[in-house]
Amino acid sequence: MSSAAPGSWEELARAASSRRAAPAPAEPQCQLLCVRVDGTPYAVPIENVREIVRVRPITPIPRTVSAVRGVISLRGEIIQVIDLRLRLRLEPAAPARSNRIVVVQVEDGRAAGVLVDEVREVLRVPESAIGAPVVADAGIVAALCANGSEFVSIVDPQRLLEVEGRA
Amino acid sequence: MAKKGGRRGGNKADREFVSEAEEILETMRGRLADLSDCLGAGAEADPELVNALFRAAHSLKALAGLFRFDPISGLAHKLEDVLDGLRLGRVALAAPLVGWLDETIALFGSLLGQVGDGAALSESAARIEQLTAGVAELTAPAQPQDEFASLDLDASVLRALTEYEEHRLRENIRRGRHIALVDAPFEIKTFEEGLAELSGALRESGEVLSTLPTPGDALESQIRFSLLVATDLSPAELTARIEFPGAAVRTVRAGRAGPRPPAPAEPAAAPAAPAMTPAELAADAPAPIPELESLKSISDTVRVDIRKLDDLMNLVGELVIQRGAIGDLIARLGGHSETAKIARDFTKMHKALDRKLRELQSAVLEVRMVPLRQVFEKVSRVVRRLRRELGKQVELEIRGADTELDKLIVEALVDPLMHVVRNALDHAIEPADERRALLKQETGRISIDAFQRGRHVVIQVRDDGRGIDRAALRGRAEQLGLVAPDAALSEKETLDLIFAPGISTREEVSETSGRGVGMDIVRSNLAALGGVVDVESTPGRGTAIAMTLPITLAIIQSLIVGVRDRRFAIPLNSVLETLVIDPTAIQVSEGRSLLNLRGTPLLLRRIDEEFALTGGARAVRPCVIVIGIGEQRVGLVVDRLEGQQDTVIKPIQGPVQNLRGISGATDLGDQDPVLVLDLSALVEDALRRREAA
Repeated sequence: MSSAAPGSWEELARAASSRRAAPAPAEPQCQLLCVRVDGTPYAVPIENVREIVRVRPITPIPRTVSAVRGVISLRGEIIQVIDLRLRLRLEPAAPARSNRIVVVQVEDGRAAGVLVDEVREVLRVPESAIGAPVVADAGIVAALCANGSEFVSIVDPQRLLEVEGRA
Repeated sequence: MAKKGGRRGGNKADREFVSEAEEILETMRGRLADLSDCLGAGAEADPELVNALFRAAHSLKALAGLFRFDPISGLAHKLEDVLDGLRLGRVALAAPLVGWLDETIALFGSLLGQVGDGAALSESAARIEQLTAGVAELTAPAQPQDEFASLDLDASVLRALTEYEEHRLRENIRRGRHIALVDAPFEIKTFEEGLAELSGALRESGEVLSTLPTPGDALESQIRFSLLVATDLSPAELTARIEFPGAAVRTVRAGRAGPRPPAPAEPAAAPAAPAMTPAELAADAPAPIPELESLKSISDTVRVDIRKLDDLMNLVGELVIQRGAIGDLIARLGGHSETAKIARDFTKMHKALDRKLRELQSAVLEVRMVPLRQVFEKVSRVVRRLRRELGKQVELEIRGADTELDKLIVEALVDPLMHVVRNALDHAIEPADERRALLKQETGRISIDAFQRGRHVVIQVRDDGRGIDRAALRGRAEQLGLVAPDAALSEKETLDLIFAPGISTREEVSETSGRGVGMDIVRSNLAALGGVVDVESTPGRGTAIAMTLPITLAIIQSLIVGVRDRRFAIPLNSVLETLVIDPTAIQVSEGRSLLNLRGTPLLLRRIDEEFALTGGARAVRPCVIVIGIGEQRVGLVVDRLEGQQDTVIKPIQGPVQNLRGISGATDLGDQDPVLVLDLSALVEDALRRREAA
């Protein structure tokens, strides 16, 4: 299932590309879905994004880490939802209309919903613009990418989906 | 045996082999049961029966050869030899033969099981060896050949007979039947129909032993055939009976028996096969066995892995949920005046979609359905065998064999049903002299009725035996400490004690009904399928046991419960009962909560404590759901019962995988998934804590 929900990143991607001058075609490009959590931009490689859905009722799962908010039903498929705020050890925030669940899928087929404050845009950046993170530790941020005046933290989807232990 | 079966099974080809071979084996089991009935009745082996067995053995040999299961095809070859011997009279129909056939067919069963499990067949080599060695003892001494001297038959005709035909001829001479040669001309263009007509007519009056083309003074456009016939009719009667133009009947050997009144055909000679095709008749029974018979499927059906049907069912389930979402959208559209018209059009389409989806759902369900006939035939065979062994006069009536159930359920039903029927035969039906003294019909009756009731199928086993002795049952339950001596039990509660573990009202242990393990296993087996079992019994008049099963497992019934502000689904098949209790009824012993359930302590677990739920409030009067997993009973305390619903249980995807106590989730169509409790884990944890305490 690689098709995207209408009104999602595909539209955003179109909007993003029309705003920006087309880069030199020779250089390899990266497409990143840019989201915002607590005002800070984070991004996920577009190839790991299955779809973006509005927040729907989440059924909590007992006895799990707090970062896993619970499960949602995606057309009958039951997937867990990770709260990116809590995963980043930030304070929980009140729900807002702009909140979205980004369904992230990794190579081995595992998938999870990722709850974010809002989805901003799709960034097309040359590979050269992506650099190492400030601290290369065991966090979920794998790289940094300059976007205008600010840095976007690129999340490693594999590590994002590794939520260990119980509450 | 030639080659050791060292190959691993379990792949698709092996499964295909096993399922096809099992079908053949099933046929063989049926025919063998009929054959041993022949033996039991002191009758001759019905040639059609032996031929059917022979053909089945041949098919199995060819099939096993094709899939290169050499030990199986080798054994099938031996079986074929033995059956050929029986056909040709070289092997006598006697107890040792039936025993050998029984054992051989049982061994095939276990060999197929090993193929299915992917096990090596070499382990069974010794048993195959042993059975092969046993063949020599079955072979009867060769019979003298001079019986044919008395026949007024041309030597060329005798020479043309096959070994089987010779055997049948000898057999009929021995029985003292008339042997006649019926000679008739046929138009070459239409001789097949003519021959079929004549053979058919003759078959009604006797047995057609051989059909031989005969040289003779026929017209150019004609061909002559001679049919060697064994009959109880005199030549004149036979001529009158067949009414075939140009047919001449000549007596080859006069039989002992005088001409009989125009009686119907001898059963052995014309075994119930009136609807034979012309081709079969022309070929004359027994038909020669075509070499490649088993390589071609007999029926135009497709074998499908049940898991593929599960996938299909899941897809349909998802579609149903999608449809619900569309319905919500339409409702939203209808809420605005400017879109109300579109909403109406959508509603029409939605209804059409709804209808088609329902049709699709039932079509997929239907594919999984098989009639109960197969199971009932198995039961009927066991009954026939048991009544011989037990020496009881019992008649079995079966009704509703066409009732259909999910294939998985039918498979799992065999054992419980067999158990109930065996109980009836072994314990309930009294011996004939006892029945006579009670002024009952000497022959006991057991009936099995199957019928559909809503989304369930009911299978009722009734007997006219002695009924359940309530006092003995109660006494035994008290002895086992299942019931307090002073407990007041209703009629139904007393009868329900037969489902309690360890109860067996007959003191002696019989091989037929097993020991100790009784109706409690029947009940737990059925519960595992989402079914229930009920009993009714009148002393001296009989017992009726009704098993109610869902028609499919693809969609299971769940109990939706509320715990504080949460909902959970509990598969109904493990729920024994639900009670609303007063919280003060909960007693505490060593930190464990207990409930007195009709004198038995029931361990309680509160779901909110189990899952550390704190939101919302507890109900004033909580509900206890009594869960039965095998022998274990645990009561789960919840706040509300929100109803029963058809559910499709889905696995939970995501990073956290050790979700102890949760087996999956289900979408009830309102988008908020409901977690399904893993009852075996919860019961196990509850009991482990009890041991730790």
